[in-house]
Amino acid sequence: MLVIRNLRTGYGNLEAVRGVTLHVEAGEVVALLGANGAGKSSLMKAIVGLLPPWGGEVRLSGRAITGEAPWHMISHGVVLVPEGRHILGDMSVAENLLVGGYHNPDRQLAIGEVFERFPILKSRARQPAGTLSGGEQQMLAIGRALAARPKLLLLDEPLLGLAPLIVRDVLRVVRDLRDHGVTVFMVEQNAMATLGVADRAYVLETGEIILEGRSEDLVRNPEVRRAYLGKGYKEVWE
Amino acid sequence: MSPLFERDREALRADQLEQLQLERLQALLARLRRNVRRYRELLGDARVESLADLGRLPATTPENLVEAFPYGMFALPLREVIRLHSTVGPDGRQIVVGHTRNDLDQWGRLVARQLVAAGVTGNDVLQICFGGGFFGQALGYMRGAEVAGACVIPEDPFHVEYQLDLMKNYRATVLITTPSNARDLVEVIRARRMDPQALELRALVLSRPVGPEVREELETGLFARAFCGFGLPEILDPGLAVECPEHNLHVSEDHFLVETVAGELVVTTLAREAMPLLRYRTRVAAQLECVKCPCGRTGVVLRPGGRLDDRMTVNEVPLYRAQVEQFLAQTRIGRQPFALSVAGRTLELAVEVSEDIVGDKMGLLTDLKAVLESEFQARFGIVADLRFTSPSRKPA
Repeated sequence: MLVIRNLRTGYGNLEAVRGVTLHVEAGEVVALLGANGAGKSSLMKAIVGLLPPWGGEVRLSGRAITGEAPWHMISHGVVLVPEGRHILGDMSVAENLLVGGYHNPDRQLAIGEVFERFPILKSRARQPAGTLSGGEQQMLAIGRALAARPKLLLLDEPLLGLAPLIVRDVLRVVRDLRDHGVTVFMVEQNAMATLGVADRAYVLETGEIILEGRSEDLVRNPEVRRAYLGKGYKEVWE
Repeated sequence: MSPLFERDREALRADQLEQLQLERLQALLARLRRNVRRYRELLGDARVESLADLGRLPATTPENLVEAFPYGMFALPLREVIRLHSTVGPDGRQIVVGHTRNDLDQWGRLVARQLVAAGVTGNDVLQICFGGGFFGQALGYMRGAEVAGACVIPEDPFHVEYQLDLMKNYRATVLITTPSNARDLVEVIRARRMDPQALELRALVLSRPVGPEVREELETGLFARAFCGFGLPEILDPGLAVECPEHNLHVSEDHFLVETVAGELVVTTLAREAMPLLRYRTRVAAQLECVKCPCGRTGVVLRPGGRLDDRMTVNEVPLYRAQVEQFLAQTRIGRQPFALSVAGRTLELAVEVSEDIVGDKMGLLTDLKAVLESEFQARFGIVADLRFTSPSRKPA
């Protein structure tokens, strides 16, 4: 579904993503792992047009979407759940979902499905979104994306800052989405938790992919520990 | 269509395979640059943007592996390596091949692909007979058989007679062995006037490719369908390719990026962890052919040829000329010209000695012949027939 070839991007003179090639098949959950500053979020932003690509290609279902404006992505069926969630705090939960489904003519149906999937959001539909807990806000951010009925859901650090119990809930949601045929590409630092739900994963280090593989293989790979733990682990690396 | 063990990997479309290979090649280069000094120096900032760029990357030779002895080619710290295999390099020195836990699991799955292509299921009883001398290969098949869910007989009697008894008693359905050992079994079956159909064998997995005549001889003699494995001891043996029921040897291209350079098979390992190799010059002649195979596998078909160096195989044991040279240099004969030839399972070794020694001390040479032949067998596991020739008669 998503095919990326030699994608490069960065900020000013700094090249943050240095020729990344990866793919996500329809129905897969694929994770992009790496330490802080590895270039994960920059890659995600380059996919959806929030950062201009310096080179390379992004294709969705065979069609080139490289460098297209972010607001075009939704019409291609690509929806990003950004890092830090960015929910609209002064608006109610229901209004947030309506905003998410703005382009979707079947949004009422889709929002109904979101409420079925996340009963907690239904019970708080009229509550201002800013009053929700961190975990609930993450559910709302994912629910808001699902209201657009995406073909490809991009999750940027969905586990960041969440309590361990809430992490488990979010991962359960990701697993459930996969079981219902939603394609998910998620960027995460929490490697071990993420590998528990992803079918495959890539490991990014200083803007380059250094590993690709099935999650069950990567769980045991020493490079995953090194990339995940960052520079400190190099001291014990011979 | 025969069953495929990993259909999602063995039957990739061309565009899927190209994407996967490019991803893995780029990741491999990043790892090699970070973790292997030799490659870091050679690669510099070299990048690949498509598989067409592969030809610009530096090659790795068997000599490089020898120079890196023992762990210079490892891409991970030794504590991550859980098994060390070894093989002999071009000058007779050892090459060490390391495996991580994932490497061994991967090996099991690659070998299971071959076994499933040979029709192996959980109902089969597999007898792995390598006569004790090919421990590494036997371990690979053992792992593959377990992954495929078959029942394995781990006993590996040295004597062919016992192997045959074992096969009968355990009602083995699949025999995994070397072509030489399979021939021995056929001879014993004939000598005993046994009907091979009385055995329960239905598949024979040979440790290396054989020609059509040998295949037919073994299939008839053992009344079983033959499949040939293919591997390289410097990488994985077996496990590089899968022979399908159509007798096409499909390379496992999701793991190995293959090319031919001047008729030589060149292999890049895409998923090995402990000792990944970039453009390894295998010294094996080969042709690669894109075939639309009815078996459903899409991996390029490998047609392996002979060796391109002076490595010979005597009774399934690899031997380099340099090893013989080193052996002779350590004996009383010293550094004398010699010629090698293989006659059946014996190595014929003709050594030039000066005429006065031949003439005056023939008795001494006869004693020396017996001692050296015995030492040769002890060192290399090869039966040698040593002849002394005079310098005027060039060794054949």
